[in-house]
Amino acid sequence: MLIEFNCNGKDVSIEAPPQTRALDLIRDQLGMTGTKEGCGRGECGACTILLDGRPVNACLLPAAKLQGCEVMTIEGVSDGSGGLHPIQESFLDQGAVQCGYCTPGMIMSARALLESNPDPTENEIEEALAGNICRCTGYGMIIRAVLQAAKVLRGERKR
Amino acid sequence: MTDYIFPSTIEEALQARVAAPEGRFIGGGTDLMVLMAADMLSPDPLIDISRIPELRGIRETEEGLEIGAATPLAELASDPRLPSVLVQGAASVGSLQIRNLATVGGNICNASPCGDTITPLIVLEGELVLISPAGRREVAVAEFFTGPKKTVLNQDELLAGIKIPRKNLSGGSSFKKIGQRNGQIISQVNVAVWVKVKAGRKVGEIRAAAGSVGPVPIPLLKAAATLKGSGMTPGIIADAARLASIEISPISDVRATADYRRSVIGTLLTDALAEAWAEAEGNN
Repeated sequence: MLIEFNCNGKDVSIEAPPQTRALDLIRDQLGMTGTKEGCGRGECGACTILLDGRPVNACLLPAAKLQGCEVMTIEGVSDGSGGLHPIQESFLDQGAVQCGYCTPGMIMSARALLESNPDPTENEIEEALAGNICRCTGYGMIIRAVLQAAKVLRGERKR
Repeated sequence: MTDYIFPSTIEEALQARVAAPEGRFIGGGTDLMVLMAADMLSPDPLIDISRIPELRGIRETEEGLEIGAATPLAELASDPRLPSVLVQGAASVGSLQIRNLATVGGNICNASPCGDTITPLIVLEGELVLISPAGRREVAVAEFFTGPKKTVLNQDELLAGIKIPRKNLSGGSSFKKIGQRNGQIISQVNVAVWVKVKAGRKVGEIRAAAGSVGPVPIPLLKAAATLKGSGMTPGIIADAARLASIEISPISDVRATADYRRSVIGTLLTDALAEAWAEAEGNN
């Protein structure tokens, strides 16, 4: 099946079996390995991508469902000028990364949250990240990183 | 290689299924993809109904509300027109990532005894609209399930939507569930309650149902009957909680023991009654 969609601002047209997982299409066919596979069954959120702006598990998504959609992966989060996105900067600043495996998924969920809610409470952040499991950090630093990123994006602090 | 079809109408979807009995309808795919990845299922073709406009969204009708079967759970979880019990049930399924894909029709047709939108739809007296090439029929949600993962849906039938009667859009309602953690968890037990107040602060109408405590979601008929017509007093609530623990038929499985389910259901019912009653009195 010819699958046509927009990935990180670029039009993609690619032949793939339709029931291929979007995760495999992105990693193996497009070569973008920032999106991680954790559990492979929709429980850990490591493979979170944005589909038309909404976070979804790429491991549960048949590639056919990408047809005609806008996709953002971790590779598309910063603007491409070489610098990091404020969410990525805040994760580094707060030490919200240990092994780093869950981090791309966390950042995608945080990005979707801050697009729709620029000033979230801690509780709202916890709910938005409830589908992303981290086995290292204990979440405190991740939540602080999202709070900090929200402030930066609102223009209330530089970084 | 599996064929994948995006029909644009219900008729096209039904025709595709008739032409290929080995196929499956796919909504969000969050249950099917797990089975397919484990090689437990290999349907061909996959008939994706998630882009059929008539199957999407929540519409107000003369009779009440009609929810398209392919509406994502995230949409139900944020629609203020829906009764609290259904909003809360939809919001408690999986994670946001799952709710953005998973559909309400899928949660129903997957027919798990623990499906978190099912008990809410039972207490709201939801009617399922089933369409096949032979025509259309309506089945009460409470009558739809025949066993774990089993329903009365025929092989050539499609669940098109769920109707909620207008009279059940008022009143108060609540959904409570317990699992091993709060986020992204499958219910060990869930309870849905819908209640209406009558004169003298008495219980006018009431319905309750419990999930993950039997082969199918179970209406709590005895618990509800004991509350009907009474005041919502601690003594009566305790009676209802005791009856609920008797009228369910839980098993011990990977998620919880039967004993635990029997002991925790009263607490969930008590909490749900308190919340539903407060809302019903506020709306009265």
